[in-house]
Amino acid sequence: MAGASETDTQLVEQETTETDAVAGVAIGLSAVLFALAVAAMFERVSLTGTIAGVQTVTLLGGLLTALGVAVIAFGVGSRFGYVETDPDPSAGLIAGFGAAVPWIVVGGAVTLQTLGLSPTVSVFGGLVVGAVAFALTVLPREDVGSTLPLGALLGLTGLVFLTGVIGPTWVWELDWAQRAAITAEFFIPVATLFTTLYGGWASAKAYGGFGARGRHMGAYVLVYLNAFSIVAFLFILVAFVVVQGIPGLLNGVELGLGTGPQTTILGVSVTLPVSVPFVMNGVALFNDFQGVLPAIVGTVWLVAGAVTLAVPLGVGAAVFLTEYADRGRFTQVVEVATNGLWSTPSIVFGLFGFAFLIPRFGNGKSLLSGMITLGFMLLPLVVITSREAMLSVPDEYRDASAALGVTKWQTIRSVVLPAALPGVVTGVILGVGRIAGETAPILLTMAGGTFIPGSQTVDVIGGFQFTTSPPFVANPALLEATSALPYQLYALISAGVGASSNVGNADEFRWATALVLLMVVLSFYAIGIATRYYFRRQLKHT
Amino acid sequence: MSENQHPQAQSGTATTDSDQPLATTTGETVEETQDEWTEFEFQGEAKMSVENLDVYYGDDHALKGVSMDIPEKSVTALIGPSGCGKSTYLRCLNRMNDRISSARIDGSVRLGGQEVYQDGVNLVELRKRVGMVFQSPNPFPKSIRENIAYGPKKHGDLDTGLLARLLNRSDAEERDELVERCLRDAALWDEVSDRLDDNALGLSGGQQQRLCIARCLSVDPEIILMDEPASALDPIATAKIEDLIDDLSEEYTVVIVTHNMQQAARISDQTAVFLTGGELVEYGETDQVFEDPNSERVEDYISGKFG
Repeated sequence: MAGASETDTQLVEQETTETDAVAGVAIGLSAVLFALAVAAMFERVSLTGTIAGVQTVTLLGGLLTALGVAVIAFGVGSRFGYVETDPDPSAGLIAGFGAAVPWIVVGGAVTLQTLGLSPTVSVFGGLVVGAVAFALTVLPREDVGSTLPLGALLGLTGLVFLTGVIGPTWVWELDWAQRAAITAEFFIPVATLFTTLYGGWASAKAYGGFGARGRHMGAYVLVYLNAFSIVAFLFILVAFVVVQGIPGLLNGVELGLGTGPQTTILGVSVTLPVSVPFVMNGVALFNDFQGVLPAIVGTVWLVAGAVTLAVPLGVGAAVFLTEYADRGRFTQVVEVATNGLWSTPSIVFGLFGFAFLIPRFGNGKSLLSGMITLGFMLLPLVVITSREAMLSVPDEYRDASAALGVTKWQTIRSVVLPAALPGVVTGVILGVGRIAGETAPILLTMAGGTFIPGSQTVDVIGGFQFTTSPPFVANPALLEATSALPYQLYALISAGVGASSNVGNADEFRWATALVLLMVVLSFYAIGIATRYYFRRQLKHT
Repeated sequence: MSENQHPQAQSGTATTDSDQPLATTTGETVEETQDEWTEFEFQGEAKMSVENLDVYYGDDHALKGVSMDIPEKSVTALIGPSGCGKSTYLRCLNRMNDRISSARIDGSVRLGGQEVYQDGVNLVELRKRVGMVFQSPNPFPKSIRENIAYGPKKHGDLDTGLLARLLNRSDAEERDELVERCLRDAALWDEVSDRLDDNALGLSGGQQQRLCIARCLSVDPEIILMDEPASALDPIATAKIEDLIDDLSEEYTVVIVTHNMQQAARISDQTAVFLTGGELVEYGETDQVFEDPNSERVEDYISGKFG
């Protein structure tokens, strides 16, 4: 047993020791700093305020210094054999370049600002400092190379914050012609964020004991911090809009029987038990609370109309391209054209609608022109994604169907299309996300205004009329100008302060409009995702 | 249905096909590649007869002047090394090669006396009568029941759609009978009878392949073409498929391509050996081909000297 245990120890992971704990704490410290920096960047944490009784900047500086010291101590301890690690001879070129970049910035900034030398000299100074950092990373053994330059960077940044060289009110006026300035509110979080990333990387390497395992740990921490920050940014963005928009949205909300407006649902007149004026009213002189109902209805109809136009056309084109046309020059040309159309700027589509559609639909901006314009915008994406989806349906299905004597069209309808539907729906979801937020085409084809009276709410279903002359059906509602949320938001913002008298708090009104737009788009997403889930289930667990 | 084996024979198109020019038959030029070893005399009727069949994929001459008659209600094995044209030959029998745009086919293929390669052939009818099972199991991503009912439904023989149900004309009972009969014939019923509405992709590979055979039976074919049906399966699933083929040969004419010579020897009544270059080198009773082949090349191939 005793003889075997010696070889065992190399296979089995070593138990957690005090030194491992130090490296672990350093990683935890990086995570905390990272979160603090993100919070500070979005002003969730005030730089001038205090956290737990300590000045925020002082706290950040102290933590950064501690992290830097811990990283260096670990590396040097490892070099002199106090800590058991398994380092490579060198930290490698990538780590070298990684360390050189921030040190070039530091060197350049110090020579330019602190020493007051000319920009040419400062570029040279930055390069020298970067080269030293590069050499210090690449030349020594890995444990020193991957900790010392980065630890020093952390320590330097921390000390700069601690000593107040860069304090919460610090401003760097850039002396160039442009009137730009870097303020502490921006610089401190960003500097903390970047140095913390390096600190986390170095301490993760140390935790893994350097070598292959250490690099694995380092990459692992970087990837996780990255993923975390992306999710955090998304979450913060949505939360920001929600927090700002909620007061305006909930203005004058009433709950209780008979408080809401009368609505007709499936021919039955119902009085809603809830009243949310912002989404149930238009703008009128004697309204207690103003709202954006016309724009909401306009957006919904706009998207519905565009999807109704684009999906059959797009799927049909994709069926033709994948199933009927021979793969050759023609399909290649169509492919290039559709890709090009998809990347065409929306204002160009808008201009097309303005110049081509409007004169043909009563010479005025109308819902119908908007629907068709946005439908054309959606069309290329539907073609591209439907085509991809149909190409990925295995040929075995087509063979099997043909071998049963089933005709091509029946095969497409019963086998290819059902198998391709989840992909098609994914394409439509992506496209709807784009067109629901389009402003420029609506501006040119549908118009609307800053404040839309409730009477302008389009009633497309109720608008159908029968006429005595061909085409025997008319729908004036489709030919009326109406608004949509993105355009109204744009109009509200560009109208500026002068508009405020009408709606009470104009700022609240804008944010609430933005929130409603976000909610409408997200509901379209939800519908799309539910549809895709349904079709996938059909394919997988009938 | 099985009594009515020649629905087209009565229509008269094929019986009077002497005035119909056959698709360019160039019998003379390929005569020298044929010899007496490929002439297989058998009793009974030829279900399919192929004469001077040439297939080109672009410039590639994949099949050279093949003539062979396939006897009714028996198992015919096609063996040979990869790329020898045996799958190409098989896919000519139900015109699946039409689906490859670069393929050009010369020669004559007759099904029960009617020319398959002529204008006006109803591909739907042809493929109903000549079914096919593929190398890798390819059930549709639908329920087991839907997989079997797919062919008859698309041919209008079964109607279980919404309209039929509303009008009380649904063929649900006929469909369920058909599903049970096909699954029993494919020796799969006992394994799946309690989960007919489950997705077919949840079955094991061997079960999927038997489901594909059952699906092929659903349109009541006379001939079943199998393109290496067991090559993707484990030995136990393979044995089940082989037993199934044996049973099927009492009702149907089976033509099977296989890489596996032992399999061909086990299950087939007659064997055709294709060799590299797309030639049919020997065709005869399986026992004779394996034990005493006429051609030296075939003997070398069978004894493993080349392949």
